Amino acid sequence: MLQGLIKKEDLKKLIASVKKEGTFYGLIRGSEGLSLSELGPDDEVTLDYSNFKMPPKRQFFPFSEVICTYEDESMTDLPLSEEKAVIFGVRPCDALSLLYLDKIFIDEKFTDPYYRSRRDNSLIISLACREPLKTCFCTSVGASPAGKKGADILAFEVKDSLLFEACSEKGTRFMENYPAIFKKPGKADIKARDEEVSAAEKRVQTIDLSGITEKLQGCFDSPLWEEISQRCLGCGVCTYTCPTCHCFGLYDEKVELKGRRIRVQDSCMFPSFTLEASGHNPRTSNEERMRQRIMHKFRYTVENFEDIFCVGCGRCISNCPVNMDIRETLAEVIK
Amino acid sequence: MNNIEIKLKDLVKDLFAGEKIDVLIGYENGSLPLRSRPCFVHSAGEVDRLVWNSYCTNNLAVYLPRIFQRQEHKKEETPPPRVGIIAKGCDARSVVGLLKENQVIKENIIVIGMPCSGMIDPAKVEAALDGAGPYSCQGEVDGSLEVTTSSGEKKRLKREEVTAEACLECSHPLAEGADLQIEGEPKEACDERYEKIREFEAKSTEERWQSFVKEISKCIRCYACRQACPNCYCKICFVDQTKPRWIGASDELSNVMIYHIGRIFHQAGRCVECDACVHACPMDIDLRLFTQKLVKDVKELFDYVPGLSVEELPPLWTFKQDDSQSFITEP
Ligand code: SF4
Ligand code: SF4
Ligand code: SF4
Ligand code: SF4
Repeated sequence: MLQGLIKKEDLKKLIASVKKEGTFYGLIRGSEGLSLSELGPDDEVTLDYSNFKMPPKRQFFPFSEVICTYEDESMTDLPLSEEKAVIFGVRPCDALSLLYLDKIFIDEKFTDPYYRSRRDNSLIISLACREPLKTCFCTSVGASPAGKKGADILAFEVKDSLLFEACSEKGTRFMENYPAIFKKPGKADIKARDEEVSAAEKRVQTIDLSGITEKLQGCFDSPLWEEISQRCLGCGVCTYTCPTCHCFGLYDEKVELKGRRIRVQDSCMFPSFTLEASGHNPRTSNEERMRQRIMHKFRYTVENFEDIFCVGCGRCISNCPVNMDIRETLAEVIK
Repeated sequence: MNNIEIKLKDLVKDLFAGEKIDVLIGYENGSLPLRSRPCFVHSAGEVDRLVWNSYCTNNLAVYLPRIFQRQEHKKEETPPPRVGIIAKGCDARSVVGLLKENQVIKENIIVIGMPCSGMIDPAKVEAALDGAGPYSCQGEVDGSLEVTTSSGEKKRLKREEVTAEACLECSHPLAEGADLQIEGEPKEACDERYEKIREFEAKSTEERWQSFVKEISKCIRCYACRQACPNCYCKICFVDQTKPRWIGASDELSNVMIYHIGRIFHQAGRCVECDACVHACPMDIDLRLFTQKLVKDVKELFDYVPGLSVEELPPLWTFKQDDSQSFITEP
């Protein structure tokens, strides 16, 4: 496992080197708050944050994208992305979410070329968490503050430096490319890192999810859903900000025989999600929609992909306008 | 438990005991520090869940049309419920609007007015803590909230610095037309408002347009602002209609703009400035600026303030020969 130490101030050098071949995305605090943005060597990379609002899925699965245009009989696919990108500062929970999205978009039978080209062309450098939030529960769903899954490189803050640790072949190759930038870490650095990691892990609140999938298999018609969903506004913020939610709709915008096809994020919390062409809607109530969201993440994905599609990032909790807390919902189901 | 909370619980217990209501919409403790959240109480036995504190930010009137607009298959089984609702000044004004627009059954609701002293805005708290939510709150001392951040640091937040904008500028903190009133000291009404609006108005057309564009380009079109608003009860919002489709699906600015212009104008003479939309927006968009501008215009042009009287006809329902026409030609 390749390790390398880089002074925080030397990140600029790394950004400058990466920029020769591609784009470097990192976090900056701008007028619109904290967001993942394209960085230049003169930008101040922020390391001081818990997590950022819009999950990294947006890099690969944008809110909306034109996928093809057509005129008369001919159709043209939009060109695939060739941008080489390094994405720095993703939290370990969010890095794991990308592996789940891969299961959806890079399937043996059906591969989404747009998603795939962006994924293939990027390198993920996660940044280990030191200060888990009140809403974090990653360790209960297979992620952790220093989890490596989904990362090519995992970085740790160690005093005035960052300790990079390669987690994939791609990550190793990347680090080998810049021998002048990375120094060999000392024993004290590794020790400091280990202490930070175990302290952070201990601070994450846990929930007991044992048997959740089996429980959900038995409670489709439970009155629980009505009870739980009463205060839900059906706004969909929980799904739009969830790193693993991946539903989309396709829309044609055309004038006579000329037009374009657009893919736009959709959400099962919207009534229009299940509206059929006939005008019939098989899922008419909030309670059915809430049931779908929970069932999909904690039961259907387990049945289909053997994974719970939740990484415990807590965005659905912190962003919900009426404080629906998925941890409480799951506890109700298990009860 | 504070005094007001005790009075409130006693009153609600009486309502259930006297079989006056089937359900009460109120607030309970949330799962996060500095958060209370809407809850539905169905019997006297559940009343102790209710809370009243500085974190009751949500506008509860949003649930009323939904309660009465129940699904068709359920309508026959049971008559519409009798609903009690806890109301701050703004919630009560929203109820007045809903009554005026025939969205709720007057005989079936009991509005319980609360003496509101202003609510804490979780987004302001987050901003004061550098973008992270508080890890815990130790309570309020000398007008300051004592909170601990996720890094374990203790901080004091001055109450007025984290009070919601809507509350700082609230003109009607007391639910005046409420059916029942919980006694207490509400905050003082604010009549020095619109400072930001005047600044906005002073800008050139181009600058105003640019600031509108800048704000709404953050929008992800989740429509949480619509869902949180008691006035947005349409069964199918214009943005969701497909025949015709009024608005394109992509996130191009022109689409986002159509939604916002539509939403803002549908609030003319109706918005009570509660900021339910602002608090719901995950992108921290300053929606207040635009709807408040309309509130000010409607007041100045038609001398009308929404949500104060069920009988008074709103300006968009009426046409008077001497109605102001200035806005028709002036940008
Ligand atoms: S964010 Fe909250 S209110 Fe909105 S749809 Fe999700 S659970 Fe419901
Ligand atoms: S369900 Fe909630 S906690 Fe889980 S990954 Fe999605 S947003 Fe994060
Ligand atoms: S069905 Fe709902 S919960 Fe599942 S991925 Fe789609 S939006 Fe998310
Ligand atoms: S809540 Fe905010 S992001 Fe969502 S549609 Fe409204 S303005 Fe846009």
